[in-house]
Amino acid sequence: MLERTGIPTKAEIESITPSDERRRKGPVAVIECFQKIPCNPCYTSCKFGAIREFKDINERPVLDFDKCTGCGICVVNCPGLAIFIIDETYSDTEALVKIPYEFVPLPDEGIFVTALNREGKPICRAKVVKVQNAKFQDKTPVVSLAVPKEYSMEVRFFNIDDYFSDSTYICRCEELTLGELRELIRMGYRTLDEIKRISRAGMGPCQGRTCRQLIMQELAKATGQKMEEMPMTTFRPPVKAIKLGALTGGVDNE
Amino acid sequence: MNKTANVVIIGGGISGCSIAYNLAKKGVKNIVVIEKQYLASGSTGRCGAGIRMQWGTERNCLLAKLSTEFYENANEELEVVHDIEFKQGGYLIVAATEKEVEQFKKNVALQNSLGIPTVYLSPKEAKEIIPHMDESKILGATFCPKDGHLNPFYTTEAFAIAAKRLGVEFMTYTTVTGITTKNGKVTGVHTDKGYISTPIIVNAAGGYSKIIGQMAGVDVPIYAQRHQILVTEPVEPLQDPMYMSFALNIYCQQTPHGSFIMGRGDDNEPTDMRITSSWQFMEEMAKTCCELLPLLSKLRVIRQWAGLYTMTEDAHPIYGGVKELEGFYLACGFSGHGFMLGPATGLLMAETILGETTTIDISNLDKDRFERGELILEPSVV
Repeated sequence: MLERTGIPTKAEIESITPSDERRRKGPVAVIECFQKIPCNPCYTSCKFGAIREFKDINERPVLDFDKCTGCGICVVNCPGLAIFIIDETYSDTEALVKIPYEFVPLPDEGIFVTALNREGKPICRAKVVKVQNAKFQDKTPVVSLAVPKEYSMEVRFFNIDDYFSDSTYICRCEELTLGELRELIRMGYRTLDEIKRISRAGMGPCQGRTCRQLIMQELAKATGQKMEEMPMTTFRPPVKAIKLGALTGGVDNE
Repeated sequence: MNKTANVVIIGGGISGCSIAYNLAKKGVKNIVVIEKQYLASGSTGRCGAGIRMQWGTERNCLLAKLSTEFYENANEELEVVHDIEFKQGGYLIVAATEKEVEQFKKNVALQNSLGIPTVYLSPKEAKEIIPHMDESKILGATFCPKDGHLNPFYTTEAFAIAAKRLGVEFMTYTTVTGITTKNGKVTGVHTDKGYISTPIIVNAAGGYSKIIGQMAGVDVPIYAQRHQILVTEPVEPLQDPMYMSFALNIYCQQTPHGSFIMGRGDDNEPTDMRITSSWQFMEEMAKTCCELLPLLSKLRVIRQWAGLYTMTEDAHPIYGGVKELEGFYLACGFSGHGFMLGPATGLLMAETILGETTTIDISNLDKDRFERGELILEPSVV
């Protein structure tokens, strides 16, 4: 499911949700990292020892909610943008959700945006309370949204209104825009494989890691299919781009 | 849903789409093309995308020349939606053994006699055309500036859209499950979407042509073999022509988009229809490429894939009807060159089906040449 749609299951979400009691005490990190990958900057960045030491770098992180102060340092250190801070003590009715946001333009503080859930569906309006983009964050700005308290474990992204237009890039490697994608769908291309071959979307250096699910979403919208039932493209080697000379041993891969 | 057609073409690759277009252009109505997945999903969309007129037999030279001349004007003739990206940067075919030098000189004479402008070059002259090659690895080369490459997806799409304008119906995501015959004649095709009764079936199913043949009780003397390719990240233009060697086992070109595509053959590749990728290919390909074109060692590979070569014993296609079943036509066994021959396949098959005199004599490319022992051996294949 996650592999196809990018959306974790309810059980997966429950497995990483802090208890109600802990949430009433103040800000806390929520680590939505569901795939075993060789990555541990969350552990190495935490100053409070709240993330358990990795025995194997492929392990998923385990957070000790009681040691976590909700400082947010792990949020900007996670390359997968998989960590959020929720603070249900923000006000009587609202919670603060801090979201790592590596897009331009950044929203202005004080504006209202459409808050989205993990499926990208709009769920409420939210105020941008703060935008942090300090040097130590290394180009991972953090946007704090004030949302109704019951949505603290729901809101994970947002749309700046009228943000997506026909000129928005869907495939950044091969520069396919949303407008071009919609035109191909109108022409009758109905699967990710067909879109990939006719537009080169997903054939660039990132091999579809960014655009695959965005295209699937657009196709699902146009065809009425469910994303989890739609055919995917083949995942092909190499996992990471590698120099021909590095394969033969003579050339450094950097 | 059952229906009736005048012609059913099995296979939505370059061959099937080109045959459909040519038949429709000649006025045939009610043509149906059946494709198991989407157009160009098989060998066409997986190929190296090159086209060359530098062949070792008159037959292959003429087929490729006809196709090249078509592709030169295809954007206009087919009124394309997407430019087919035909770029004539030439093919530089290097000779690495004395035997190849001898053969290549014969090839050049043959090609020139057919109006193909190939020249024989010394290693030094070859290096002027591809400056980043290691010329110490070669003894000579042949170069034809009119060879080149084009985009298989856009080209197939162009034939299909032009065919649709002429009324051809395309059934994609449709699987042929059986073929019906009566008194030695074709009567129809069973698919997972219903039965189509038809007096004419064209088997243009690429790697699956043998299986389609079996459904009709026709033994097609071909086998499908996996071939692998890799592609690099795109970079600034470095190399105009395709670099190719039979003895050193490589073909390598830079696409207009900037990426390098390269492949090599391997006699040990499986023949069980698998199109998975192997790490051995990537390693061997990298080794060969770094030795012959050292500059390219700095390029990053971003993807590898595989497709099927549908091989015949003499590396020429099988064109035409079969004596054991009336109305059953073959356009298969392209031995790795079906994409480049697409325009010729479409025209010649349409002429054959309509009983016209063919633009190029293909009477000796029939299936029965293998029984007759009349093979036309092609010396120049990777």
